[in-house]
Order: sequence, then C-alpha cells, then structure tokens
Amino acid sequence: MATTPVEKYNFDVVRWFTIMAVVYLVVGTLVGVYVASELAWPFLNFNMAELSFGRLRPLHTNAVIFAFGGCTLMATAFYSVQRTCGVRLWSDKMAWFTFWGWNIIIVAAVITLPLGLTGGKEYAELEWPLDILIAVVWLAYSINFVMTVAKRKTSHIYVSNWFFMGMMVMITYLHVVNSLAIPVSMWKSYSVFSGVQDAMIQWWWGHNAVGFYLTAGFLGIMYYFVPKQANRPVFSYRLSVIHFWALMFGYVWLGAHHLQYTALPDWTGSLGAAVSLAMIIPSWGGAINGMMTLSGAWDKLRDDYILRFLIMSLAFYAMSTFEGPVMSSKTVNALSHYTDWTVGHVHSGALGWVAMVAAGALYHMVEKLWDTKMYSAKLVNLHFWLATIGAVVYITAMWVSGIMQGLMWRDYDEFGTLTYTFAESVAAMHPYYAMRAIGGMIYWTGGAIMLYNVVMTIRQAVGQRSASVATANA
Amino acid sequence: MESLKEYFRTDWAAMTLPDWIGLIVTVGIFFLMIWAYVFVFNPKNKEKLESQRHLPFEDESDDDTIETEKRK
Repeated sequence: MATTPVEKYNFDVVRWFTIMAVVYLVVGTLVGVYVASELAWPFLNFNMAELSFGRLRPLHTNAVIFAFGGCTLMATAFYSVQRTCGVRLWSDKMAWFTFWGWNIIIVAAVITLPLGLTGGKEYAELEWPLDILIAVVWLAYSINFVMTVAKRKTSHIYVSNWFFMGMMVMITYLHVVNSLAIPVSMWKSYSVFSGVQDAMIQWWWGHNAVGFYLTAGFLGIMYYFVPKQANRPVFSYRLSVIHFWALMFGYVWLGAHHLQYTALPDWTGSLGAAVSLAMIIPSWGGAINGMMTLSGAWDKLRDDYILRFLIMSLAFYAMSTFEGPVMSSKTVNALSHYTDWTVGHVHSGALGWVAMVAAGALYHMVEKLWDTKMYSAKLVNLHFWLATIGAVVYITAMWVSGIMQGLMWRDYDEFGTLTYTFAESVAAMHPYYAMRAIGGMIYWTGGAIMLYNVVMTIRQAVGQRSASVATANA
Repeated sequence: MESLKEYFRTDWAAMTLPDWIGLIVTVGIFFLMIWAYVFVFNPKNKEKLESQRHLPFEDESDDDTIETEKRK
C-alpha cells in the first residue's frame, strides 16, 4: 500500500503563497516604477490608453496591496495560526480554494484594469463580478482561519491571531458595503451611494483598508515573527492587548480626515482628525513593544539581516503613524491635501512598514518552510539596504515636492491673484518626480534580488533533500 | 463658559434611531476601553497575561517540517 508523508501542518499552501508574494512584490513595484516614470517622462505613455497612468496606477495599487500584501497575509496567517494553535489548518481544500481564487482575482485585475474596466472607487477599482469573487475567497480564508483557531490545542489565543481575526472581520464588511453597486452590464456597475455619502463610504473603506488590512494584519505578522526571529518573547503582552483593542475601536473613526474642507459636515472631519491624533498612542505603544522585544539583545541586529527588516519596519511604522495624524489636522491638511506629500506618506507606510515587515516574515518562513538557510545572507543584507535607501529617496522626494506644491498653489500676490499657474507647479515637480522614480527603481532592485535569493534557496533546499534521499536509498 | 455650553448643545428631540444606536455603541465602547485599560494594567492580572508571551515558543520544534504521519 502506497504511503505518502503528510506534514503535521499544511505548509504546502503556505509555501505557494510565500513564493507568489515575492513574485508579486517584484511585479507590483515594477508597475509602480513604470507609472512613476510616466509622470517624470510622459512619452512613456506611448499614446496607448492601456499604458496610460490612469489605467496602470490602479494596477500598481492592486498588485502591491492585494497581490503582494494579500499573499503575504495569507501565507503568514496560515503559517502562524498552525504554529500558535498546535493544529493543522481546519480545511486543506478551503486553503487551496483561497490560493487559486485569490490568484485568479489577481490575473483578472491584470486583464481588466488596463482595459479600463473599473468601478472607479479608489483601492476598490475591480468591477462587480470580481468584487463578489473577492468576498467569497476572503470569507473562505477567514472561516478557515477562525475554525483553525476554534480547534486549537492551546487554551489561549495568541495576540497575532487576534490581529488577523480583527482584520478578517473588518475587511469583510468594509469590502461588502463599499462595493455595493448596481450592475448595468457584465463589466459595468454604478455604486449605490452618491454625492457626499459616496465620498464618506469611499474613505471609510479607504482608510480602514490601510488600518485593518495594511496595519492590523501586518501587526499580526509583527507580533509573531519579531519574537520568533529574535528568539525572545514579545516585550509586553499586556501592551499588545491594549494595542489590539485600541486599534480595533479607534481606526474606524479616521476615514473622514480624508475629506477635510469638502461638502462633508465640518464636525466629521474634526472628529476624524481628533481620533487620528489619539491613535498615535496605541500605534507608538505597539511600535515600542515590537522594538523593545530586542531589549538586551540589540547585538542581534549586527548579523541577523532578517531581523533588521523587522525592526526597521517598526521605525517606519512609528514614523508614518505620527505623520498621518499630523497631516489629518486641519491646519496641516490645508497645505498637504491633494499634494504629493500624501503620496509620500502612503509610501512611507507601504515601502517602509508593510513591505519591510513582510520581507522579514517571508525570509523567516522561507528558511523554516524549506528547512534551510538563505542561499546568500549577503544578498539579504543588500536587499535591506536597497529597500531602506530606496524608501528614503522616494519619501524625501515626495515630501519636498508635496510641500512645494502646496505652497505654490496657495501663494498669491498683493492683488489677491495666484502667483503661480498650475502648469508652473507641474514643471517645478519634474526633478522630484525623476528622483521618486529612481527611489522606486532602487526599491524594486532590492525586491528582484529577494526573488533571486528565494529561488536559489528553494533550489538549494530541494537539491540537498534529493541528495540525502539518494544517500539513504544507496 | 456660555460658549462651551452652546458648543455642546444637543437637540435630543431631533435624534433619529441611527443617531441613538451610534451614541449608545460609542459610549458603550468608551466604557469598555476604560475597563480594558483597568483590567490589563491591574497588577493582579500581570502574571496571567504576561505568561502568554511564550506561546509562540511552546509548539515549534525544528523537526516540525519533517514530522509525518501515514496516509492511505
């Protein structure tokens, strides 16, 4: 009777999510570099609608957020929930359905977005059939995770699982409500919301996608992978509990700060800004909690390059969760809104926090899942520096560009006439747009090196295993 | 003081059902957060909560990836 070795845990699906996450990191940031270059050198449009900024920009955001971010969240959640609960995933079939379903959605996005098939909602551009598919696949992912937690062998549910579950619950209803639409054809629908309600729902979704998907989910990653990589328990478990509940109850209020000085009632924006400022406390509590995990063992950063990613990501997390609330206040928002400063802020969170904590977790998992060491530790270190320098160049360019934009737009002379035309402000942006494209290229190079290193590590592990099997059979 | 009173003036009669639901949920969560802070930072609960810090290290052993079972 033929027997097949079966792992205690289902790591096959985790391996594939891990590989696809690294692939999508490279693809998503490449599209980002291309659209950034189009802004600096517009001839790159080649007069083709499918290559225009308006169509490729949502492809970039969907690729990095949902393809790279989604595969990372699914890999890490399925990995850590099995480890912390001491049980195999509740349903292997559902896990594979999640893998294939999520990847089909990504392929569909790659086809539909350049063709201009879009619902027009930011960070939720995909049309209604794909929105339904997202809801189904996301539910399969969530149910499988929750049921795995339910059948755990441990009495306590570790904090990383709370963060993952918080994300799953919130994203389910945020996605469903924001995507409510009336289809008029197979690939065209109109939102059920209109006017200021549409704007409010859009940013209720938009900011909570940042708050729950890109923050809570990735904090789940942080709370498992920082202690594991450092080989030390988290600094304060009590602080992590407060971090979780404050984040869950606080974040949902923030969306209105995206709509300062609009038709939205004034008090709504003020409330959003006030709660945003209050959120600095739990966010910094969490960042300090992660960093202080290394308390007494900072020397580990000297030669553990994977740990460097995780700790640097927390520095960016602290920085962007301070910058965001400051930008949400009405005084600063009057200058920063609609400028490149917002783009810089988003990328300090995306490149610095999300992608770096993800890279640290992915490297950690590659070593564990293939039971080997990275093919080249030097390349991990090179990736770290390229990611750090690339992110800093990108963010700095957008800070300078954004503040200059804001100042130019609102400057007026003694007669009350605007000093600068809009076209003059666009011309002034050019050097910073070129600098941003270069920063993005540096960051992308780091991602490409990571992909090479991961592929070589897997080949090395498979080679070692084949050799040991051959030796055993000899 | 008068302007502060004016600032916080509320037309209770104009409150709709969603307004009341929102108010009750918000105030309820506010008190729940206070309870959470008191519970978490009460020295009596320190040992109970901090003992969970080690949970990620309880299960994992290096041979996890090679632990097998037989499947027909």
